[in-house]
Amino acid sequence: MTAGPVRFLVTLPSRGDGTRGDWGPPPAAPPSFVTDLRPGAYGPFDHLAQAGRAAEIVGFHGALAPYDPGGEESLVVTAGLLRASRWLRGVAGLHPAAATPVYAAKVSASLQRFSAGRLDWRLAVDLDPSVARAQGDFVEGADRYARADEFLTIAKGVWGEESYTYEGRFFQVLAGGFQAPLGSSAFPRVQLTGTSPDALELSARHADLHVFDHEDDRDGGLDALIAGLTERAAEQGRTVEYGLTLPVLAREDTAEAADEAARRAAAGAPPAALTGSYEDVAGALRGLAARGVTTFVLEAAPHIEETYRLGEHLLPLLDAPDTTREHAHAD
Amino acid sequence: MPIDIYWRIGTHGDQRSLRRRVASRGDFDPGVPGAITPGVRGGRGDGYSHLDHMADVARASELSGFVGGLLPSFPFTDDPWAAAASLARETTTYRFMIAYQPGFLHPVQAARMSASLQRATGGRVVYNVISGGGGPAQLWWGDKVDHDDRYARTSEFLDVLKGVWDGGPFDYEGRFYRVEGAGLPGPLAGQPFPEIYFSGSSPAAIRAAGRHADYYLSWLEPFDALAGKFGQVREHSAELGRAPRFAVRIDVLARETEEEAWEEIRRGWRHVDPAQLRGPAESGDSVGWLRSSSFVDWPVTDFRELEAAPNVWGGFHLLRGGPAFGLVGSYAQVAARLDELIGLGVDAFILAGVPHLEEAYRVGERVLPLLRGHDLRVNDLPSGGQRDRAASPGSSLASIPVPRGNA
Repeated sequence: MTAGPVRFLVTLPSRGDGTRGDWGPPPAAPPSFVTDLRPGAYGPFDHLAQAGRAAEIVGFHGALAPYDPGGEESLVVTAGLLRASRWLRGVAGLHPAAATPVYAAKVSASLQRFSAGRLDWRLAVDLDPSVARAQGDFVEGADRYARADEFLTIAKGVWGEESYTYEGRFFQVLAGGFQAPLGSSAFPRVQLTGTSPDALELSARHADLHVFDHEDDRDGGLDALIAGLTERAAEQGRTVEYGLTLPVLAREDTAEAADEAARRAAAGAPPAALTGSYEDVAGALRGLAARGVTTFVLEAAPHIEETYRLGEHLLPLLDAPDTTREHAHAD
Repeated sequence: MPIDIYWRIGTHGDQRSLRRRVASRGDFDPGVPGAITPGVRGGRGDGYSHLDHMADVARASELSGFVGGLLPSFPFTDDPWAAAASLARETTTYRFMIAYQPGFLHPVQAARMSASLQRATGGRVVYNVISGGGGPAQLWWGDKVDHDDRYARTSEFLDVLKGVWDGGPFDYEGRFYRVEGAGLPGPLAGQPFPEIYFSGSSPAAIRAAGRHADYYLSWLEPFDALAGKFGQVREHSAELGRAPRFAVRIDVLARETEEEAWEEIRRGWRHVDPAQLRGPAESGDSVGWLRSSSFVDWPVTDFRELEAAPNVWGGFHLLRGGPAFGLVGSYAQVAARLDELIGLGVDAFILAGVPHLEEAYRVGERVLPLLRGHDLRVNDLPSGGQRDRAASPGSSLASIPVPRGNA
């Protein structure tokens, strides 16, 4: 398989970032004789907004606002992100029990209109049962995938047709469907995840991008997963692109990266899946791209600094179309 | 108690005026010459969307003295949650009154969206809870729950939303919703709870409003009918130990003189489809809509026949999309009618006028300063047929010559 252009997404910090945002301990304040104009002037979304802006400025393809019942709500985050950017795609995490498919599509149609079509969906299907019940969702097992299938079928149905009827087990709609101009934008690109047969079958039917986790590639398991889903999708007459979620730690050289990894391990931070020099990491990503991965969902903290670092040092080493765009600036 | 005055935002485009029923702002009527947001430059789209115009209306509203605006939700409109979340960071004091139907979001999801939006706006979210107009539109949304059950669901929805708001853990088992160990996480918990403007004219609505409404919101009706409706809500609420405030949604067409205001209506009237003058068509199971059309003797031939009470005109739906009744008159007359409503117990207004951007400034600058609120004595009111006697306030700036540029 020949490696084509690759795309990079960042994951937004839905639960703050260390002392930034109000999710962790408050930052150390300067002593009281130092003028500090911040109190009362800034809120939690100022940090999130800057994390999104960083991704926009340095040339990431998109930013993921995950569906996180323990964090900031993803549609609100994504709407703000899209409004404050020109290029970036906003990936909004959604759960099929959170809204009816008609309403989820309706909100999304507006976000598409407001952002010139830069909205994607990341559908969360498989929640921990106690988390699901706290969201009011008591559907379990394979039914969750059946419901997700209905959710996506109806959402696409009302988007694409002016009169659409569907009677499902979980949802229904009678003579629904968007009038122009609501459905005139493209339907959000659908991202799905998971490795179970149910998850892969759902992706075969609906995903534009299936995102595996780096842990799925233990013992080279990614190749079989990709081959399997490609085959299932072909049975549906479809093709699916592949993504990979990947915590990275990249520095000027291998030794510096190893030092930083040791420092983080001592501080109790989880290890990155890929640690090394910019060239090391780029090489590993090229290898994954040659195996069929087109999209890397990178995770790196602290978000703003690491987004700049990856955008300036790592992305230029790869054939990422978003970093090679022409800048029209007047000198 | 201060009076809160909101100004609507069109989530379905806007007309240039009431004279022609064509939405040239926003892309809802394609191919209109001179259309903006999106506009066309050099043969290509200019990259603006209807949201950019909505942003202008929101900023005009906050600058001209309104506390915020209602963002309506219908099958054909843009969505209020999407618009509010998009505009959160480019407004300062503007309160987003988000219209939504409880059945379409799970209450825990609605709580999460609301709390994040409260954090993004510094607590500027207000709810307009609507329980649906029924009929084909309700099925369009994928909602088969019938009229009275929709209000029961609304009640449960708000119970769950309030139950998780401060962090929980909250358990609930109702007819429509069930949650276990629910609650908003860490910093999302305990944000200021949005004020609830509750709509609905049926007995089921009034019962549900008694439990949950901070403001009971009605379309404008002739004032005696409105007073009767408020009386019923007061009664039901008192049984539950609550005392809701009242809000009225009113279109306003105010001009320097009464004649100018009616002339504007007359210009729009020329383009009304005569078929519409036979009477309103049946639509869904909305009791508010049925009430509204009962105040006029259909069919009508002349626009003044729709003036159900002095300055209270029931033909706005013929000139633009939306409810029928609004106020038409001079600045002073319209202010006086609003004062009368304050006298009847109204605590908040959602005003609107076409086009929303320019009329926000007009009403904010010319009508709101004339309000006298509870200080008003009823015999001070100008009558419907009287000429406007309001004098413009003097200004010391008037004596400073205007610079004319370089000689």
